[in-house]
Amino acid sequence: MMKFIRPRLRKPVGIALAGTAYAAAWVVHGGNGWVLAIVAEVGVIALAIATYVWGGRDSDEDALAGSRPDERQQLIAQRSWALAGKVTMFAAFAGVTIAVAARAGWWWPFAVIFAVTGFGYLLGLSTYGVGEESPADDANDGHQLRSPVSH
Amino acid sequence: MRNRVREQRTQRGLSQAEVAAALGVSRQTVISIEGGRYLPSLPLAFAVARFFDMTVDKMSDPVGEEAGT
Repeated sequence: MMKFIRPRLRKPVGIALAGTAYAAAWVVHGGNGWVLAIVAEVGVIALAIATYVWGGRDSDEDALAGSRPDERQQLIAQRSWALAGKVTMFAAFAGVTIAVAARAGWWWPFAVIFAVTGFGYLLGLSTYGVGEESPADDANDGHQLRSPVSH
Repeated sequence: MRNRVREQRTQRGLSQAEVAAALGVSRQTVISIEGGRYLPSLPLAFAVARFFDMTVDKMSDPVGEEAGT
């Protein structure tokens, strides 16, 4: 769907949609949730506008905000996401370990985050590593090749 | 890895922004390539070489010696 939206608008629209879903969750929550929903919606619209403005500037971060990165900027984004994944997994592991040591009941959200991050890593290996497992094209099907210099 | 991008660009009197626009990359990427901090992909390396009417091996110096030697 995002492909039909101008690159500079993609991230602001994504932020606005995600923020609106979060605000809607507060409305569904009931009670005084609508107050928090309004605060969240105003904040997310401000963030979306700021992202749109940043998307027109001349820096690596702004090129990413404007969804117009070149190959080096894409590499920066990939490395940053990889670092975010490592930090998340490390933090989740630390959370589980501390919760277990403290005999706390809140160990499981950390375990879920740890498991999901680990699954994401394995999914990445299977997705991006596929095609590299093929045998070498000079494989001899297990037959012993005779050296041209052997007797 | 050293390269001759800066040398070729200044010889032609071009700005980094003009080279970036011609190659379809950001000005920051041209700066990084010139400084040897970013090794471009093979397609971009060929595009850079073609832009300056040179070959890739003449544009770059894999052993880190002075360019043009």
